[in-house]
Amino acid sequence: MAAQTNAPISYRPAGTLDASGALAPYAGPWNRRLAAHLLRRAGFGGSPADVDRFAAMSPRDAVDSLVRFSDAGPLPARPALEDPPVPPRGLYRGFLAGMAADDATAEARKAFQMQRNQNRRRNLISMQTWWLQRMIASQSPLQEKMTLFWHGHFTSSPEKGTSAQELLMQNQLFREYALGNVRDLTLHVSQDPAMLRYLDNNVNAKAHPNENYARELMELFTLGIGNYTEQDIRESARAFTGWTFRLSPDGTGNFIDNKAQHDDGTKTFLGQTGNFSGTDIVNIIFRQPASSRWFAKKLLAFFVYMDPEPQLIDQVAALIRKNDFEMKPVMATLLHSNVFFSERAYRALVKSPVEFVVGTHQLFGINEVAPVELATMRQMGQMLFYPPNVKGWDGGVAWVNSQTILTRENFANGVAKSPKMMDAAAWIVPAMRSMDPRGVAKTLTEAMLQGDVSPASVAQLVTYLGGSGQTELAQLSMENVDERVRNAAYLTMAMPAYQLA
Amino acid sequence: MKRTGFLLGALSGLAVVANNDTIFSQALAQTALPGLPGGSDRILVVINFQGGNDGLNTVVPFGMSDYYRYRPSLGIAQNEVLRIDDTFGLNPVLAPFKKMYDGGNVAIVHGVGYPDPDHSHFRSTEIWQTAQPKSYESTGWLGRYLDDAGLPKANLFNAVAISNVLPELLISKSTDVPAIDALASYGLRSDKTKGNSEAFHEFVRDTTVPFRSPFLAQVAEIEDHAQRGAQELPKLIAGYQQQATYPATPLGRSLALAAQIVGSKLGTRVLYVQHGSFDTHVTQKQTQNRLLADFANAIAAFYQDLAAHGNDKRVLTMTFSEFGRRAAENASRGTDHGEAAPVFMIGGGVKGGLYGRHPDLGQLNAGNLAFTTDFRSVYATVLERWLGRPSAAIVGGGYTPLPTLLA
Repeated sequence: MAAQTNAPISYRPAGTLDASGALAPYAGPWNRRLAAHLLRRAGFGGSPADVDRFAAMSPRDAVDSLVRFSDAGPLPARPALEDPPVPPRGLYRGFLAGMAADDATAEARKAFQMQRNQNRRRNLISMQTWWLQRMIASQSPLQEKMTLFWHGHFTSSPEKGTSAQELLMQNQLFREYALGNVRDLTLHVSQDPAMLRYLDNNVNAKAHPNENYARELMELFTLGIGNYTEQDIRESARAFTGWTFRLSPDGTGNFIDNKAQHDDGTKTFLGQTGNFSGTDIVNIIFRQPASSRWFAKKLLAFFVYMDPEPQLIDQVAALIRKNDFEMKPVMATLLHSNVFFSERAYRALVKSPVEFVVGTHQLFGINEVAPVELATMRQMGQMLFYPPNVKGWDGGVAWVNSQTILTRENFANGVAKSPKMMDAAAWIVPAMRSMDPRGVAKTLTEAMLQGDVSPASVAQLVTYLGGSGQTELAQLSMENVDERVRNAAYLTMAMPAYQLA
Repeated sequence: MKRTGFLLGALSGLAVVANNDTIFSQALAQTALPGLPGGSDRILVVINFQGGNDGLNTVVPFGMSDYYRYRPSLGIAQNEVLRIDDTFGLNPVLAPFKKMYDGGNVAIVHGVGYPDPDHSHFRSTEIWQTAQPKSYESTGWLGRYLDDAGLPKANLFNAVAISNVLPELLISKSTDVPAIDALASYGLRSDKTKGNSEAFHEFVRDTTVPFRSPFLAQVAEIEDHAQRGAQELPKLIAGYQQQATYPATPLGRSLALAAQIVGSKLGTRVLYVQHGSFDTHVTQKQTQNRLLADFANAIAAFYQDLAAHGNDKRVLTMTFSEFGRRAAENASRGTDHGEAAPVFMIGGGVKGGLYGRHPDLGQLNAGNLAFTTDFRSVYATVLERWLGRPSAAIVGGGYTPLPTLLA
């Protein structure tokens, strides 16, 4: 294929990487600003009280508390999913024989398919709502953040008819391995029903090898283009033949290694020759230096900054190898590092719609997610359990255009005006009774932006709140203070800094 | 499958140029449009037939006997089709569109598709929009056109998507394209609150914040564009007098807004409109006929409206769908996901007629119509002959049409 136009624009932060000690523990000043940075990256932002709590710890204790997961606290119950409907007997008999249906059969089939599609839609809504609420409420935000990371990395979606039950099972796998061993996770993913279906390994048989999974495993999941050949894809696809699943009545699937469909001939893969199985392929891949670099780059772009320097990638890759692909010590080091807390990494990422929505809920203490928010998130460009393609979400500048920004601002406006907001956000209540525009502006910009605001914008906010200056607003009074503070909270969320993680 | 066209493209640019010549040498009229130096005033409207439109029941090959063999219940009888010639005719619900065809303003390109087609709605839509079947491209083909065309940076409306989500085909590196579902919902709700609008305006211009971010300037600029665009557009297009009766459907409303934007001379070069869903697995006839009738009525009204303002020659409309459908109907009186399908090019000095070669119904590609024209050849023609930009950097090399097409 011909090369595409234009060299990519880099969103690497300005300035130079201080490579010596980039991964050494950060020992600089510690404050609310950096505690909030840690919470935005390792979680979704948290409430002002969460930020205070983290600011009161040492950086080491803060990071330790994030990498130690707990199931404490009320978490939303797992979604009750509707079973796939059972097709009426004989519905597909004529279909399989290639016969045209009579009207009654066509109608029955249509009714069945409508029921099936309706169940799928309902299940997707249940699952998205459940996961968002879990992200909001979880006492282990990094567990949910890593689950989101793996969801965007080892992508599967309902596109191939994958059931909600299968996707939920995959989601639990990501959560279980959130900070586990990536090699083990990759092996489990290779045997996961949602993945087997999404990338067609369920039809990868000895007589007709299907290369889809083998290709994406190397191109997008573990190595990256340039670190394998087309021949390696063909050979490894043979090693994965027969890996499929059997459907359970509850809609989930169980992995089976179908020996009858497995090609047990000799394969040559990445320079090694043997009668390889899928497990052998995964093990060989993880012995390539390119695999640790691939995960290093993806982790840095998701947690630190985009387009990281090759030097930094190499350092994180060495850390990954030293820990034999165990993510817990890797993330504990990365989140505590000098480069993570450097000014270059600070607000150097764009919040994803999930981060924007979940973080806003946490800020105001609103735990419920309304169905309309799911549609709103789609307009923002992100649907959970529905990544756009096998590459996952691009992130960064792809999140922001006029359309998504209008949707984000209108969402923030809706939250600020919601009656739930004042009930739930204790920190804002005094502001809503205050007649001191300056104090209110400080409360809002500290709680929402940790003071990342210019004096000019603070002055503008004070002017707005007080109703003085050139605005046509009435003076601040008991009659208008509630509405005025809500609008000011919205305006603070509308500042560009609030879009940045 | 038949990959001849693609392989030729890979091996020899000349072979494909020759191929393009036979397909497109007459597709677009060769006369320069008066008063349009360098085509700078030309507009492209793209209509996305979402869900995969069945080409065989849109442009009906009634003269091919295999057609009725594959379509025992869905086939459209010879005496019902709107005849184009002895082999092809249009679906009878397309009557207003047939009138435009008879007026010489519609080109139909047969069998458009790409090698190794994907049958997933998402992925195939993405392939058509990014013009990149082999990898995952983050910009759309018209987004790359916008990056490449050097349009005035200050114009917020170089392109407009009339849709609730910005389509991938208009995602660009440096041009922020507004997506407008309907004028009523396009805007900041808070702008209706006193004082908010001004404060917002100041915040997005204030980048003297106490931190640096590689994204700050861009986010601030997009926020500014979003607000100003939403405030200005209704005023800019308010003076337009609609001169046609559009169907009261989403497509009718979208094309009415498109005509209004064209007629208000905002410097818009590309408009995107969507229509559907054509995903007719079950009892196809009812759904497809409704959607095609709506299309025919809306597009006829659109060109009537454009013509009344002298804009019909400035506007080229192109349709596409992520795939056609399988040749054989299924047992539910519907059709499943297929491959090649026709593309329409309308107005804009198009020289009407049938172009390309219809897929051979006797030689299917595993039950599907094998493509005869690569969709990137269609894009290259639009880019080079209508928008006046070289296509190689936008859709890849090897799809360049000959320079004797539209000046």
